[in-house]
Amino acid sequence: MAESKISPYSLTDLKNTTDDALANYLRGLHFHQDNTKLDVRLAIGYASVIIAAATFAADYKLGWEATKGWTAVAVVAYALLNGALTYWTWAVEKGCVFDGAKDGRKISIASKTNKHEPTYYLTVTDSGSGSTASTRQIQAPFTAWFTADGFFVAKPFQQWLATSVEAIGDADTKNASRDERDELAAPGPEVERIAQSNGSVEASGTESKGKSGKRSKKRG
Amino acid sequence: MFGSLAALQPRQLAAQILNFALVLSTAFMLWKGLSVFTNSSSPIVVVLSGSMEPAFQRGDLLFLWNRGIETQVGEVVVYNVRGKDIPIVHRVIRRFGGGSAPLSLLTKGDNNAADDTELYAHDQSYLDRSKDVVGSVVGFVPFVGYVTILLSEYPWLKTAMLIFMAASVVLQRE
Repeated sequence: MAESKISPYSLTDLKNTTDDALANYLRGLHFHQDNTKLDVRLAIGYASVIIAAATFAADYKLGWEATKGWTAVAVVAYALLNGALTYWTWAVEKGCVFDGAKDGRKISIASKTNKHEPTYYLTVTDSGSGSTASTRQIQAPFTAWFTADGFFVAKPFQQWLATSVEAIGDADTKNASRDERDELAAPGPEVERIAQSNGSVEASGTESKGKSGKRSKKRG
Repeated sequence: MFGSLAALQPRQLAAQILNFALVLSTAFMLWKGLSVFTNSSSPIVVVLSGSMEPAFQRGDLLFLWNRGIETQVGEVVVYNVRGKDIPIVHRVIRRFGGGSAPLSLLTKGDNNAADDTELYAHDQSYLDRSKDVVGSVVGFVPFVGYVTILLSEYPWLKTAMLIFMAASVVLQRE
């Protein structure tokens, strides 16, 4: 999949290839994928298709007059199921490309693109065991991991994910360039959480400063 | 192209097939919904002949309504001849019965010299409103139905269109 060539001008192709690669990468890191959202969509969708197929078969065999009443019931049921399906895709799935957990740490990743803009937007929800869930948005241009002629390159993509998502970085320390990140002082989820809860600003603030200091000493 | 389809995860493949099935089933259920709403087995028909000119031309799209069974003289109805499954669009020129008695109709094409007794089945000299009539015409769009006339006169067009539609839905994501 990743080896096949796509048109680098097609935003849909860029997004689909990247979505697939993201899920593959996380499965490769032994994140246990949770397919519940997709399974519910498939169940609702196929249930409505079966209703339509049964209506078609009944109409074909028995004719309109004999099936009138049941057709009305089927039409209402189909409309309700389709409404449920639309609700599920728009309000629950919200472009989710990966739900999974590793060592009790759950992550959920949703992707999106804006029209005519070659940028990949990810919404990452990270809920560790016990601690509350934190949601953050990251983004990167597709050019970071696609060659000019449309080949997907895994390395820079994995480095980007491992560096900017804490949970993935923990699972793939090789690709997570953490020192670099600390130097650039990109706000990790810990720092964000500190900013949100004003009470413990000072204590944890000094602690994280100490940590980064130790690291730069090690390097130097 | 088929290679990329085969490379999909089973769930993704199921989702892809679902997309295609939903397009077909939604179209079918919309049609059936309209049937239920209008109480007509075929709520939209295309005029196939010029027998109702100048009111309706070949290729006009007609919308039918089949609630309120008291059809009056002057209404245009669509009916099926017993034994044949060809819908005919003609105007009512006589009515017999009605009210509590079963309603019978005699029809004639505006552009035809004689009434429809020749068109009806052998032992039939009038239409049974509740059995033969599909609905009364309540609205029309000129000419857009011509596509279906082309499709039925050149059957290979139908095959070509179906193959093209199926291929484009299955092979494209989104």
